[in-house]
Amino acid sequence: MNRIEFMTELAALLQDVPEEERRDAMQFYNDYFDDAGEDKEGEVIAELESPGKVAERIKADLLGQQTEKEYTETGCRDRSSEEKNMPVKGSGAYQKDTGDYGYREYQYGDGGQDKDEQKPWSSNILKVILIIAIILVGAPVIIPCAFAIIAVAVAGITALFAFFFAIVLCFIVVAIVGAVLVGAGLLTLIPEIAVGLALIGTGLILGVIGTVGTVAGVKLCIVVLPGICRGIIWMCRRPFQRKAVV
Amino acid sequence: MVFNTGAALLDAIVLAVVSRDKEGTYGYKITQDVRKAIEVSESTLYPVLRRLQKDDCLEVYDRQFDGRNRRYYKVTEKGTAQLELYETEWKNYSSRINGLFEGGESA
Repeated sequence: MNRIEFMTELAALLQDVPEEERRDAMQFYNDYFDDAGEDKEGEVIAELESPGKVAERIKADLLGQQTEKEYTETGCRDRSSEEKNMPVKGSGAYQKDTGDYGYREYQYGDGGQDKDEQKPWSSNILKVILIIAIILVGAPVIIPCAFAIIAVAVAGITALFAFFFAIVLCFIVVAIVGAVLVGAGLLTLIPEIAVGLALIGTGLILGVIGTVGTVAGVKLCIVVLPGICRGIIWMCRRPFQRKAVV
Repeated sequence: MVFNTGAALLDAIVLAVVSRDKEGTYGYKITQDVRKAIEVSESTLYPVLRRLQKDDCLEVYDRQFDGRNRRYYKVTEKGTAQLELYETEWKNYSSRINGLFEGGESA
């Protein structure tokens, strides 16, 4: 296995991690090979064992990220109990470093009377849980409803456009029929003058109606469609505007 | 080595190695320096660096080197504070163990 094979396989194995993570890891190992130099390429690959191993480590750490808070917490607890044994050493630095988190743990050990400081943390967690719960409960109802509303709206708009398009199409067809009838009339003029003349006449009338209708239909579309579009936009905007006023 | 290096100690060692270069240092060098002190597989270091970066203990920047972009790691203010904490903790920890080994009073 050479460097290129290694990197290609690593990229393939990291397909299921977020793109940013993948790019960062790829950049790191690319740099790593560059800095190790060409002559150490084999050594590096041997040391890294396999792309599978590297990918596994990266993924394991990404998964561990959720439980990391927990880890910090226990770490802090250990430290605070140690600090009780040795109150002089580095207590200032300690409180500055770990921030209120560790400090809170310390209070906890003393009897946990500091409820005020704990509130923002727990209410934040509660909020997150609540939001997740709402999403979980509401999703099966809200998502199909939203899809239905969007589908109905799209269908309605499409129908409106189709209606006007159909009007124009109808008149175009009438005009074409007129032209065809004129042609047919001219052909039948020789064997049967009366029928031919009738056909030509009907054809001319239809042709005129068709042409006029087409032009009128297009005009109608030009006037009506922008109006409809404006109406839709206005309707979409209304709920937001009302919210803004309230 | 007989003793395991826990996650916190590994974090501390990496922070210590990176903090030696004020200008910041790069992945390969960090790995080599860490491996001078402890036995650790090369594939272990990247996740540690990435995690420290996410925890705002390290910041990264790219700089031109040899006609390519090389990623540099630098210790942040938070990282320095964290390292100080680790150093204090380590001193306490090791002095107690030493005390025990040398038969003196435990700290």
